[in-house]
Amino acid sequence: MAIIEAADLRKVFRRIVRRPGIGGAVRALFSREYEDKIAVDGVNFTLAEGELVGYLGPNGAGKSTTIKILTGILVPTSGSVRVAGIVPYQRRQENAENIGVVFGQRSQLYWDLPLRESFELLRAIYDVPRNRYLENLAHFSAILDLERFLDTPVRQLSLGERMRGDFAAAMLHDPKIVYLDEPTIGLDVVAKEAIREFITRVNRERGTTVILTTHDLADVERLTPRVILIDEGRVIFDGALQRLRTEYGTHRTLVVTFAEAPTNIDVPGTEIESREGLVVRLRFDRRKLSAEAIIRRVMERYPISDVSIIEPDIDTIVRRIYVEGYQHGAVGAPS
Amino acid sequence: MRWRRMAGVYRQYWRINILTTLEYRENFVVWFAFTFVYHGSSIAALWIVLSRFPSMNGWSFRDMAFLYALWMVAHALHNTLFSTVGEVPDHIRNGEFDRLLVRPLDTLFQAIATPGQVFPDELVLAIVTFVAATIYAGVHVDAMFLTFIPLIFIGGALIDLGINLIISTAAFWFVKVDALRWIFVQLEQEFTRYPVTIYTRGVRFVLTFVFPFAFMNYFPARYFLHKGMSGLGLPPVAGLLTPAIGIVFVALAYVFWRFGLNRYQGVGH
Repeated sequence: MAIIEAADLRKVFRRIVRRPGIGGAVRALFSREYEDKIAVDGVNFTLAEGELVGYLGPNGAGKSTTIKILTGILVPTSGSVRVAGIVPYQRRQENAENIGVVFGQRSQLYWDLPLRESFELLRAIYDVPRNRYLENLAHFSAILDLERFLDTPVRQLSLGERMRGDFAAAMLHDPKIVYLDEPTIGLDVVAKEAIREFITRVNRERGTTVILTTHDLADVERLTPRVILIDEGRVIFDGALQRLRTEYGTHRTLVVTFAEAPTNIDVPGTEIESREGLVVRLRFDRRKLSAEAIIRRVMERYPISDVSIIEPDIDTIVRRIYVEGYQHGAVGAPS
Repeated sequence: MRWRRMAGVYRQYWRINILTTLEYRENFVVWFAFTFVYHGSSIAALWIVLSRFPSMNGWSFRDMAFLYALWMVAHALHNTLFSTVGEVPDHIRNGEFDRLLVRPLDTLFQAIATPGQVFPDELVLAIVTFVAATIYAGVHVDAMFLTFIPLIFIGGALIDLGINLIISTAAFWFVKVDALRWIFVQLEQEFTRYPVTIYTRGVRFVLTFVFPFAFMNYFPARYFLHKGMSGLGLPPVAGLLTPAIGIVFVALAYVFWRFGLNRYQGVGH
């Protein structure tokens, strides 16, 4: 069953054109020019209940705007949106009962007070029955190891601890859907792992639908089987992470360590990516040539001491898509 | 159901307020002392100015002490209960305001119930001042007085809330509204110190019907001090209308707030 449906979602902002410097700012006092900025340009997707989806895109691609429409903060310019059967901007408060939101860069905890006090306030805001609240608190404390710092003022917590507190805070009222906006930003490896574990368990054990925006693609690899890629306000890919890999990860890199410095390197079917001393990285299209054929060509021409092959990681693939756009024929339409 | 929930949130809000204030004990002590110095010195300054005039448009110095104390309590009540509404523009600017929109309660209620560092020290001082001024001015304290005075304080606080809300709502368009707020704070302080009859007709009209500061203290004081008709032709009993004026003014400000909020949700900021 679809829990989130977005169809032809568009959001256009009217922005003041800013000119640089103090002179520009003074001029803007007297005459202002406006421009339309299309933040979201016809976004379509549906999410089934209990899905865990990565919503990716470069800065300014329209990720946050989409999330703000789904959470009811913004009204779309056109298009339709339904979240758990509700149009969020029409029944914002009702929608708010169903959702939890974590903004990675912004905490909802009270800085000066023990973590527990923030939880108590949220319990009151969402009117969580006392028993359920205590159950959830015990459960999250166990997964996130909150017990140690539940009575410590938030200002004294490390970023990782605070973030764990924020996650528990967003989940105390058993939301059907959680929006996680860059939840692992700035965290160390251990804290990231704890957060990822928490997301996985909440999704699996409680059937919570999760939308995750992130720049850390390790989050995606670890967590979300499905990714939606957005650029310039449009969905440019929607499908399994694996498909993204096979369709876009067409190039591999052969790392060759030469036995002696070659004068000029020319291997048909490859291009040189980088060269550092005796180590040269050659890029090739795996659809056109097999690794075996390339290695043979290299060995025919030069004495070498070592070779290895690098598979493109998800970071590289996504970076390529951002840079090259989606003119690539292989881009999949939402299935 | 909803009201019960709001009461629960409000209780928790005050708990956080007080805990936060007490968390920083030294700051609290300094602040508490400052309240008395600050308000004490403004009362003293007023005293010096007013004691030079035997009377102003038929108002004696004692009358004016009562006038000032009336405003002081209403204003302190506002500062204690509603001052966080004034932080909305900051929250719009730094993005925190979005948090209120993803919670299942009315945004204005949340803006009021956002824990700030508020402590009822100013209110306590204002009430002490008011009791002293009432005795000093020789106001006849009867059942009528005891019934209406608390309502007049609440009405006055609501008038202040209305102004605060209108200014904060302007931030949905202009984001930063410090200048506007400063102007209103200054005007309110000036125009509530003296009987409005000393001002021109235009100013009196604005203070009565547009931004009804005159209902915070002038009209109620006139009623309780038996001052007779005012220049605007309102009967003395208008002084008892303050609670109603407060409710209507806040209701109008709330309509404006909803309008601004819709705009915010439409265009962002």
